[in-house]
Amino acid sequence: MSKILRVNMTDLTAKFESVPEKYNLLGGRALTSSITCDEVPPTCHPLGPSNKLTFSTGIVTGTNAPTSGRISVGAKAPLTGTIKEANSGGMAPQKLARLGIKAIIVEGQPKKPGKFWLLKVDKDGAKLLPADSFTGKGLYQTYPLLFKEFGDKVAIIGIGTAGERLMSSAGICINDPENRPARYAGRGGLGAVMGSKGLKAIILDDAGGPGVTIANKELFDIGRKKLVAALQKNDLTKPGGALNTYGTAVLINVINEAGALPTRNFREGRFEGASSISGETLNENCKTRGGAGMTGHGCSPGCIIKCSNVYPNPDGTELVSVQEYESIWAFGANCGIDSLEVTGELIHMCNDFGVDTIEAGVTIGVAMEAGLADFGDSKKTIELMNEIGQGTPLGHILGNGAAVTARTFGVVRCPTVKGQAMPAYEPRAIKGIGIIYATTTMGADHTAGYTIAPEILGVSDDIDQFKTDKAALARHFQNVTAYILDSSGHCLFIAFAILDDPSGLEGVVEECNGVLGTKWTLDDMVKLGSDIVKKERAFNTAAGFTPADDRLPEFMSYEKLPPHNVTFDVPDEELDKVHHA
Amino acid sequence: MVEVHLYGKLRRFSDNQDPTRHSIVHIQAGEADTINDILRRIGIPRDEVGDNIFLNGRYSSFERKVKNGDRLGVFPDNMAMIIV
Repeated sequence: MSKILRVNMTDLTAKFESVPEKYNLLGGRALTSSITCDEVPPTCHPLGPSNKLTFSTGIVTGTNAPTSGRISVGAKAPLTGTIKEANSGGMAPQKLARLGIKAIIVEGQPKKPGKFWLLKVDKDGAKLLPADSFTGKGLYQTYPLLFKEFGDKVAIIGIGTAGERLMSSAGICINDPENRPARYAGRGGLGAVMGSKGLKAIILDDAGGPGVTIANKELFDIGRKKLVAALQKNDLTKPGGALNTYGTAVLINVINEAGALPTRNFREGRFEGASSISGETLNENCKTRGGAGMTGHGCSPGCIIKCSNVYPNPDGTELVSVQEYESIWAFGANCGIDSLEVTGELIHMCNDFGVDTIEAGVTIGVAMEAGLADFGDSKKTIELMNEIGQGTPLGHILGNGAAVTARTFGVVRCPTVKGQAMPAYEPRAIKGIGIIYATTTMGADHTAGYTIAPEILGVSDDIDQFKTDKAALARHFQNVTAYILDSSGHCLFIAFAILDDPSGLEGVVEECNGVLGTKWTLDDMVKLGSDIVKKERAFNTAAGFTPADDRLPEFMSYEKLPPHNVTFDVPDEELDKVHHA
Repeated sequence: MVEVHLYGKLRRFSDNQDPTRHSIVHIQAGEADTINDILRRIGIPRDEVGDNIFLNGRYSSFERKVKNGDRLGVFPDNMAMIIV
């Protein structure tokens, strides 16, 4: 029987509770957002005692469903002031699920600020231990110390110094299969929420755990096989396919060719140095340098896609894992830097300090706009990042993200929505993703409805990237994403395969029905997704957000983006139609 | 001239196969030439091309007409984000 673990950081207790009936069929984002809506006052301070941090694995996570090692982390976010769900792979999701824990809720706040704790969870229970000897250091030092203490088979969900210092760009880190501090529930500053709770890390030991109960094994297997087949057939997701071979960075050349790769703080849509930071170059360097370098690295066991990589130095030693599309773009094209060696070093710094690479890279772009460094100046970029690592006053400004940095230095060209930095798709050149950025409950977030798939990547229908009447598309994608991807426990990237192959999509529905013993149809699941988005919207409304917040930054309405020379011309009424059809 | 940017394994149809640099073929477009015609003239087999083709940064079908001065970006099937 699955349980909820409630951890109170005020009185330092950790207690198991039975799962309320209303949560029985929820997982992942559906559960974290439901708990946030039910238990967190929308007007609370995100770093105060009333906020709660919830971890929940997806419905099929912990089973042998393919590409399903995902965890959702939810709270009210300090970066945006909205509700937030950040999602990650890594080693923790499956271990948490196999411990029979549906969710961990962390609440309250230690009476003594600055003191940190570890939460150790195993088959026998949960307890809080002092974390004194594990704080104040980079995660590349801290994680090995924790594995030495608890054994290398545990999984760790932790924060770096940025989270300890309550910076709004702080993410929550999960170890990868080789125990690197490399995977992140990155967005929204949830690392700062964890820091505000005085929780340095959660240590999960699933040895002897009960595992995940599957109500209808036969149906589950039918669904699983359909999804496996869809993933293995799709050119993007199959073994040896685009993601497996080039990593997510395969998108650098594609989006650059589409004129939609934000360059030098969103001044242009095409970067002359794109080739040097592309997935092709990454793949070539991994192949020719030998040693530690590899593409086709999996971030969690049981993934078919394996889009991760280990990037080598010129001498073959390991520089960093992982160089993702978003991270490479954020420090690369967005900062005018055309070197994978430099983006790799900067990603390593993010992993070490525990900050979100997208927020950090966009912040540096804004800092460059402010004159703190020239575009393309790698040395100065590394110096600025070090300010974050050292927690200097400038580091605190930068560590609080792009919007805070822009405001501090009077920068108008600030590419954020609801305080969160935009990811690597220019909304002026790809309108649908702009509608998503504007209207998601999360702030600028490409994962809330990946319309890039139909708009650029040709998955399913051919939808023109410049058309503006996409409210219905944006609504549908947000609803589908909320349940079928973020709550089922599958990685977002199965979307490529299941959008293209109805049988794969059917498979996901059957897997979920198999685990839960439900009889959901696809429409039922989209409806559940729509319910989640509505609930999240209601939270944000109660927190003070209005349709006026569902807008892109003004400069995008009057600055024409080369090479297409277009502004963001989606009318406000179209944006408002997304949630008020 | 049409400026054709080739990616992945299609770079072999240009002078440059180094992925850090551009692989560009310049080719004269005739009156009624489509993307299909241009690709055929470069000698790129149709089945090596995915559906990821951009004409002046715009996602395009093979049938769209091209004219001199256009930029064409062509991705191979194994980088194809395209399906169908």
